Amino acid sequence: MDRAAPLPGIHRRLRAAMAIGALLTLLGTYIVSTTTRADAAPGPNVIRVAEFPADCTFSHRLPDDPIIFPGLPGASHMHSFFGSTVTNAHTTLPDLQRSTSTCNPRVDVSSYWTPTLYKDNVPVEPAIVTFYYLGEGVRSDVVARTEPLPLGLRLVAGNAKAAGPDESIARWSCLHAGQVPPSKNFVTCPAGTMLESYLDFPQCWNGRDLDSPDHKSHLAYPVNQACPSTHPVPVPKLRQVLRYPVNGNPAGFRLASGPGYTMHGDFFNAWPVEEMARRIRDCIRPVIKCGADGRPI
Amino acid sequence: MRTPASRKSTLLIAVLLIAGCTPGPPDAAGTPARPPAAPPPTAAPQNTAPQNTAPPMGTAGPFSPTDIAWLQLTVAQIERLLPVLDLVPTRTTDPAWRRVAAQVEVGRRDDLDRSRRLLAESGAPATNPHEGHDMPGMVTAEELAALRSATGKPFHRLVARHLRAHLAQSVRISTAEQKGGVHPATTALAGAVVRVGTADLARLDRLDPPATTLPAARQAVP
Repeated sequence: MDRAAPLPGIHRRLRAAMAIGALLTLLGTYIVSTTTRADAAPGPNVIRVAEFPADCTFSHRLPDDPIIFPGLPGASHMHSFFGSTVTNAHTTLPDLQRSTSTCNPRVDVSSYWTPTLYKDNVPVEPAIVTFYYLGEGVRSDVVARTEPLPLGLRLVAGNAKAAGPDESIARWSCLHAGQVPPSKNFVTCPAGTMLESYLDFPQCWNGRDLDSPDHKSHLAYPVNQACPSTHPVPVPKLRQVLRYPVNGNPAGFRLASGPGYTMHGDFFNAWPVEEMARRIRDCIRPVIKCGADGRPI
Repeated sequence: MRTPASRKSTLLIAVLLIAGCTPGPPDAAGTPARPPAAPPPTAAPQNTAPQNTAPPMGTAGPFSPTDIAWLQLTVAQIERLLPVLDLVPTRTTDPAWRRVAAQVEVGRRDDLDRSRRLLAESGAPATNPHEGHDMPGMVTAEELAALRSATGKPFHRLVARHLRAHLAQSVRISTAEQKGGVHPATTALAGAVVRVGTADLARLDRLDPPATTLPAARQAVP
């Protein structure tokens, strides 16, 4: 930076005073922010990924679906339920709010369900189940204004009646075997690894509806890293990750809904409003990786 | 021309302004520290009720989500059964099997028409996009292909299995609709499906007694 002619004395004294003032101001701001907002201020070691998880082990199986076939027990193919322990064909939001949960954190009494995986006609439940809530897939200024997923939201992702891989957003891969290319259908995982399924839910809400006739179109996927005008409200992207304790030749594998590309996920949001809001404020908007407790890792 | 000192004082003012305006965590660089908690541009959610989406109104009263799901599922189930029934006169000459298939087909086609009319009245989509690739009581494309290449007793056994699965599932969900549905004409249709389906199952059992399935299956093994 260019330094012009020597400063007159008055300017020199003013400059010193201002520098000290500025330092004090910065110090004061720092103390205030680290004492009153210690919970939210990113420490030096935070991981700059907008994320918080819910780890929800398997709860139960039923041929029910309270979103697609409400009130009709037995109407569906077999589903494996995670999270709330009470979900059946008749489940409503108050039922979930009164229920216990298999999730870490326990406060997440949401219900998550997927078609059951069968190996040689025997059900196989995933050993590791994580539902990630992510601020990604949109521009950083959009992430910074992420809103919580609304209480009572019902949402389906994936295509249960996909007739082929082209009609699917499913993704199958192998845990600890990154060399196996991911596929929309089952993959052959090496011995000692686990078959895994990834499914991303849409993250742009229309701001109005908790459900829609097709149980999908009240949300939309982002377009060009932003939420489209029809679905202007950015919410966290829910990413369902299931790790199944199976590997090898997938010839004997099938989902209750059909081949691997029919993988889908249903989500019925029952997070306590303040717990979801805290995680949006402390993890998603500031881009901080949080643990199941919603605190920076 | 501005001196370095005036530049510094501008900087100080800027620092003070920033410090004064952003008391929150220093993480939201470039954005307000407290993004507007303001909800979505539109008014409050339409269905804050814990129950399912607001029921569409039909001329004969409101349809519940259960009514609509049952109608959509009934349409899908019958549409998958009809190709099986259509095969019967082409794959067997047995008059008893042809008679049962024809009777079931007449009744189910009538249920299909009534279900479609009620769905149109409800304003809901005619198909349920999530009914699934593989659903209980529904014949898959592979099973239909197997039927097309079977004749005689093996064909009778396959038809009996698919018809029984269809009717049992239809009676199961229609019983639930009868109890849990709301729209009068729809629950009445469900009641009729339960009655006729139960009678059809009994007729099927007389034609293909479940007890004989095992020996028949053993015979089929070479």
